[in-house]
Amino acid sequence: MEVELSFNHSLNYLGDHAVVLSFDVEMNDSSLNYVNKIATALNIFKNKYTWIKDIIPAYQTITIVYDIYDYYLTEKVEPVLLFKKIIPPLIAEASANFTLNTITEVISVPVCYDIEFGIDLKELARTKNISIEALIQLHCNTIYTVYYLGFMPGFAYMGKVPEKIQTARHAKPRMKVYAGSIGIAGLQTGIYPTDSPGGWQIIGRTPLKIFDPHPSKLALFKTGDRIQFYSINIEEFNIELAKQTTPIN
Amino acid sequence: MPIKVIKKGLADSFQDNGRYGFQHIGICTNGFMDYLSAQLGNALVNNPINYPIVELCFPASSFSFTSDHTICITGANFSPVINEKSIELNKPIQVFKNDVLQFLKPIKGSFAYLAIQGKINAPNWLASQSFNATTLQKDNVFEVLPINASEIYTHKISPNFMTTIHSTIFTPAPIRFIPGPAWNDLTEQSLSQLLTQPFHTTLQTNRMGYLLNGPLLDLTKPNQYLSSAVTRGTLQLLPNGSIMVLMADHQTIGGYANLGQIILVDLPRIAQLKNGSSLHFSLTNVNTAHQLYQQIQKGFIH
Repeated sequence: MEVELSFNHSLNYLGDHAVVLSFDVEMNDSSLNYVNKIATALNIFKNKYTWIKDIIPAYQTITIVYDIYDYYLTEKVEPVLLFKKIIPPLIAEASANFTLNTITEVISVPVCYDIEFGIDLKELARTKNISIEALIQLHCNTIYTVYYLGFMPGFAYMGKVPEKIQTARHAKPRMKVYAGSIGIAGLQTGIYPTDSPGGWQIIGRTPLKIFDPHPSKLALFKTGDRIQFYSINIEEFNIELAKQTTPIN
Repeated sequence: MPIKVIKKGLADSFQDNGRYGFQHIGICTNGFMDYLSAQLGNALVNNPINYPIVELCFPASSFSFTSDHTICITGANFSPVINEKSIELNKPIQVFKNDVLQFLKPIKGSFAYLAIQGKINAPNWLASQSFNATTLQKDNVFEVLPINASEIYTHKISPNFMTTIHSTIFTPAPIRFIPGPAWNDLTEQSLSQLLTQPFHTTLQTNRMGYLLNGPLLDLTKPNQYLSSAVTRGTLQLLPNGSIMVLMADHQTIGGYANLGQIILVDLPRIAQLKNGSSLHFSLTNVNTAHQLYQQIQKGFIH
């Protein structure tokens, strides 16, 4: 099905060194896909305008960070006016080519849901009044979309977690959550890329390296990716872990 | 010949003007907390102004030199001494083999900068030497490499400009900000409190953010927003009604009410506030912010 989509947008300053492009969209996969597509299109600005320092997509917004000093070396009008001129043609072009079924492959992510790794599994299953097996199945049967990356390098916020197993964060975060841990927080699920403090309810661990500091690798996922988890046992976990080469810094 | 850390400080690190281009994958920028003092330090030792520099918190590291260097201390006054003899801030100083640099007591400000003529040879990741961890440990040694003649900063810093920088950072004045996406969601009373009441920095001040004590602010709607990018200087309203000012090591994206962003030219001033300092906020606009920032940056030759 090819449907031309376009959404109303607005452009405003976010402080003195960023502008934020906001889209009037519902929270769903196709609008997220749309925002992400526009953000990708905007990336061509990075080469053209050296004063653009970052382009950061989120649910409904794309934030563009610029260098004030460098900006005025080459431009005369204030930034928001320039963006109001250069952004709409790009949006129009991206919208014209946008189709609802551009969603591509699903990335499979192995997870060991052993209670040694899934330290909150037992308690979560108990409070949700389902078996651990059923909880794992619910977590695995869903295809998640990466909403955005943040919190720490490579941390992908994904959703939407089935209502039955949505859960609040721990009131008091743990001092240390191990790299690869899969957590749930509200309707979101995510993977801790490195050992860090964290408040999400931990249900398993992936042997995959979610973030690799090597400049050619970096984050395993990007905004808009589609992800599905599958369950592996601890032997498979160890085999896969051994395949992952250099340790995470 | 290397410079040696002979005593570890509280949270000292190498910083430059930050790592940009990777915030979309959650990599925060890091970088100078007080960019004006860091740029001044670099300029005074003839380095490009955004070069990596040693950023120091109190209690600060001590250093011993194994060869001659030109150094300069800027920013906070932590009573620097060389071989136990006081040295001046904001003035290039020649140090010699076996000299020891120490910082005795915090007199003013939160971040001091040790500029060393040349290029600090420290880990570089994604085109920046800024990191969000304490990178200087006891017994660490680091080299300072000569820089290309074409890169040497030769512009003279005028006494007037030095005074301007100093007063921009250290003369108490309201912290100016531009209203953010959640500004209109503040109750009338909270809005007026934010603009008139004093706030105080708390013990929870670090490179990530400064938690403020002050009137607890209310919104006319629940404090739940769809997450969106935040910047250095963002005033986040926490669920309990207090304000967290995001600083150099902030997360890239936040979901709390974004009340506004402090303008770049006022960030060094808030960065240098010590725990328990009082501050006021005032509104400004983007045009003013751009003019002020350009004015002060034009004092340096880029």
